[in-house]
Amino acid sequence: MIDTQLLISGVLFGLSLGSIFFLMAIGLSLCFGLMRIISLDQLLYYSIGAYITYTISLTTGNLWLGAIGGMAAGAAAGLIAERLIYLRIYERDITFTMITSFGILIGGVGIIKYFWGLVPRPVEVPITAQINLLGTEIPVYRLIIIVVAALVYVGIWMFLNRTIIGKAMRAGIENVEHVEGLGINVYRLFTIAFVIAGGLSGLAGGLYAPLIMVDPNMGLDVLAFVFMIVIIGGLGSIKGTLVSSFLIGQVISLGALIYAPLAQMAPFAIMLLILLVKPTGLFGSPLLKR
Amino acid sequence: MKVLRWWWGLLLAFAALALVRIFLPLPFANEIVIFSIYAMACNFLLGRVGFISFGQPAYLAVGAYGAGFYLFYFGANPYVGILLGIVAGIIVSLAVGPLFVRLRSDYFALVNLALSVIVFYLMQKVLAGITHGDNGLWFLTSIASTPVLDLSRPDHFFIFAFLVAFAIWAFYKYVDDSIFGACCLATKVNEDKLTFLGYSNYSIRLAAFVIANTTAALAGAMYAVYLGFVSPEITSTAHAPEPVVVTILGGVGTLYGPIVGSLVYIGMKDLISRVVGNWELIIGFGLVFIMLAGEKGICGTLEPLFKKALSRAAAPGASAGVGGKTT
Repeated sequence: MIDTQLLISGVLFGLSLGSIFFLMAIGLSLCFGLMRIISLDQLLYYSIGAYITYTISLTTGNLWLGAIGGMAAGAAAGLIAERLIYLRIYERDITFTMITSFGILIGGVGIIKYFWGLVPRPVEVPITAQINLLGTEIPVYRLIIIVVAALVYVGIWMFLNRTIIGKAMRAGIENVEHVEGLGINVYRLFTIAFVIAGGLSGLAGGLYAPLIMVDPNMGLDVLAFVFMIVIIGGLGSIKGTLVSSFLIGQVISLGALIYAPLAQMAPFAIMLLILLVKPTGLFGSPLLKR
Repeated sequence: MKVLRWWWGLLLAFAALALVRIFLPLPFANEIVIFSIYAMACNFLLGRVGFISFGQPAYLAVGAYGAGFYLFYFGANPYVGILLGIVAGIIVSLAVGPLFVRLRSDYFALVNLALSVIVFYLMQKVLAGITHGDNGLWFLTSIASTPVLDLSRPDHFFIFAFLVAFAIWAFYKYVDDSIFGACCLATKVNEDKLTFLGYSNYSIRLAAFVIANTTAALAGAMYAVYLGFVSPEITSTAHAPEPVVVTILGGVGTLYGPIVGSLVYIGMKDLISRVVGNWELIIGFGLVFIMLAGEKGICGTLEPLFKKALSRAAAPGASAGVGGKTT
């Protein structure tokens, strides 16, 4: 059987992985829920965030500044894409927005290659300290990632439930036409949602950069996982996204402890099972079925 | 005369494809033909049945490994390899089809993506003992030369691939005109009405799913024979949206779309990566531009214009013919 030390570090690894996935998936989920678009370009903002973090932390030596810069860059890129491209295609069929966003993703990867080149870049871990938890050495940085994800969840929850814009957004997820009928400018809501999504993806990239190598195709590597999380959680549901991202994080990390190839395959097997049993995902409401 | 009218477009397009062979290098032409078979499958799924699938590489890999296993371990005849690839495609799509076709479009796309990732890791890690993992199976030298069309020679392979593509295309054109094709279109447009007419949505979708994925498997088997090599790379997620992109580039549901799409996509990829070295930038934003300009794709936009021009050209000739008879 697996010994406890390995198990604890495995669970923690899964939690931090799940946190990163959560930060990215929340944007996708929000975009789908509100605007009915599948925004593959969130993965571009993730890599842009990571690269900006790399550049800033290289010049100033401060990763936190870099992560904030990455978040801002992701949000800015999201704003540009929304204003220039998405605004014209909201009316179109979902498959067409999906392909368009794939085009943005590929084109953005080209831009990244133009500026930073093909070589993978390492980013230094800002905190190398480890703390002792139940006899297991835990890297503090991973704990910080988990805390940031928790704060983001609380922040998003407060935003959606306590502010008037957030409430309008939640109503928009249920039915956009009704919100429009109440005299709320839904396109303004769309822009806000897109900027939030892009910013969170950028933040995810910035935070995850020290733990992996930053390379132009890093977005494509996590594409399948993030998608899967959104689907398992139910498209458009924030709570479902939270649950499924931690579920998938744990499955990947604990699966790797049992049998290494399982780590990559098991999440997909779980997704197949969940979808076959409950085709709307764990928390997806039947209303959202198109 | 009616038969000729039915076929003229087909013949014209393939004549253009044969011309391509003269102007373009052989490996490029081969890739276009194989890719267009692959895209035809996706075009049928997307344009006729309304299924968008991000997991086509899974079926491509099934076909490729079906052929690859045979050629690496058991025999040397490439035709048998391709046949086995098709059989593998039929078996796998029959196995997963009943589960998959119940799902709706977005979920269908992602479940297929999941399948392609599962196949990837199955081939890369779990079955590494048989598939040699990332190194792949190499059997280029062990493919036996066959009489008439020697598939181990690229120029003969082109002729073979060309004939296969033609046959597949004719088959899809036939399906389009048949009752089954009409039913496929009906499941896409209005499934309730189809149920009222007494057809089963489920069985029509399943049949279409099997047909399309077997075509993808055929393309995979042909890739395997042509390259003489199979590796898990063929089903990696980075390639997953490629057939969908090509289909939409060419024009969804148009008959000539897949060929135009693969010609343009592979051509641009090849050309741009040779000239600029940064093909993602141009392909990506080119794609965005095409989507913004019109959702019909290249072929869908050009076809009505072409038809209009053709009818305008034909109209004076027809009236002159009538006039000639009367006088």
